[in-house]
Amino acid sequence: MYQDRGAKLAAAHQRTLNENRDLAANGWGASPISTARLSAEIWNQIRNEDWSLVSNCQFVNRWPLRLWSFDKYYQYIGGEGGYGVGYGAPASVGAALANRKYGRLTVSIQNDGDLMFAPGVLWTAAHSKIPLLIVMHNNRAYHQEVMEVQRMADVHERGITRAWIGTTLIDPPIDYGKLAQSMGMHGSALISDPNDLAPALREAIAVVKSGEPALVNVLTQPR
Amino acid sequence: MHKSTMPPSIGFLERAALRHPMRAHILALLALILITAIVAIAFALLIFVRPSSAAEPSRPAIAKQAENASTASAQRGKKLFTNDGCYECHGRVAQGGVGPRLGPDPLPLSFIQKYVRHPTGQMPPYTAKTVSDQDLADIYAFLKSLPESPKAKNIPLLND
Repeated sequence: MYQDRGAKLAAAHQRTLNENRDLAANGWGASPISTARLSAEIWNQIRNEDWSLVSNCQFVNRWPLRLWSFDKYYQYIGGEGGYGVGYGAPASVGAALANRKYGRLTVSIQNDGDLMFAPGVLWTAAHSKIPLLIVMHNNRAYHQEVMEVQRMADVHERGITRAWIGTTLIDPPIDYGKLAQSMGMHGSALISDPNDLAPALREAIAVVKSGEPALVNVLTQPR
Repeated sequence: MHKSTMPPSIGFLERAALRHPMRAHILALLALILITAIVAIAFALLIFVRPSSAAEPSRPAIAKQAENASTASAQRGKKLFTNDGCYECHGRVAQGGVGPRLGPDPLPLSFIQKYVRHPTGQMPPYTAKTVSDQDLADIYAFLKSLPESPKAKNIPLLND
């Protein structure tokens, strides 16, 4: 009976995975880089390591949860609980510190707006030599706010082309690679071609394996 | 039962039922069957019939739509898709995100022109005051102009 049930669950899981893979193919080669492509490329680099994802994936459409294979408790940190803003970056550094003694490859997909609440945590990671691979989900905006302001404008039928004011990080865009370097850690150039992801990730992972944090600045789709 | 022995507030149907209980049972059963049939048909229509086919425009409307579509500009549509905020939920190349993929191969223009006025789920409304039917025709042209994405089965990273 349990084998029967197990077989049914496994089949359902495979069906869902196949559906998610089909969806992940949409915009596969796009620039800015799709969040599905980003997640798939990261997975390809970490799947054979003792990895740990220390960021909530809500803002990347949960792609890691939909595409990766999770079978250990420490592989996912979950969310902040109370819709706290700016939680992601400090939480990821704290989790990376906890993972350090186990030699785990700690990875976070870091939202740019979230990082800008307390960017000084990058210095903490560098100063304390906390190994952490930070892959930026850089959509150049406090995007959750962009969408909420858009919703309000749409509902009020007024200013629907102005939701970007005060909510986007453009003009100039922030260079997170240089930000990381200024704090004393490895920071990459801006990656906007999805074919450049693999080499940039490999380079950063080598730094992280040597015991230090590293940031890869990726220009991504809004969600 | 005599009419004078019944309470004054009782209605016509109740009185008829009390006078002819057998007939009342049959009528009630027929009414129940009829209502069930109507509900079942409505259910089937809602679930199995796509809104676009239910909202098939008339011949003159189709002609006008074709005229809009041919004068519609994918270039202008791309600008609108960004400026009106569609990209925020549907992605910059309409690949989907918070909202579903919209292109290439979009749903019919007539459906889009109705749906965005009264969207369901999380999508906010885009009324005629903010986005015209011509604007939507341009956006539709943009959606049609998008290149196809590769299929997952041809992408090594999406196969075990």
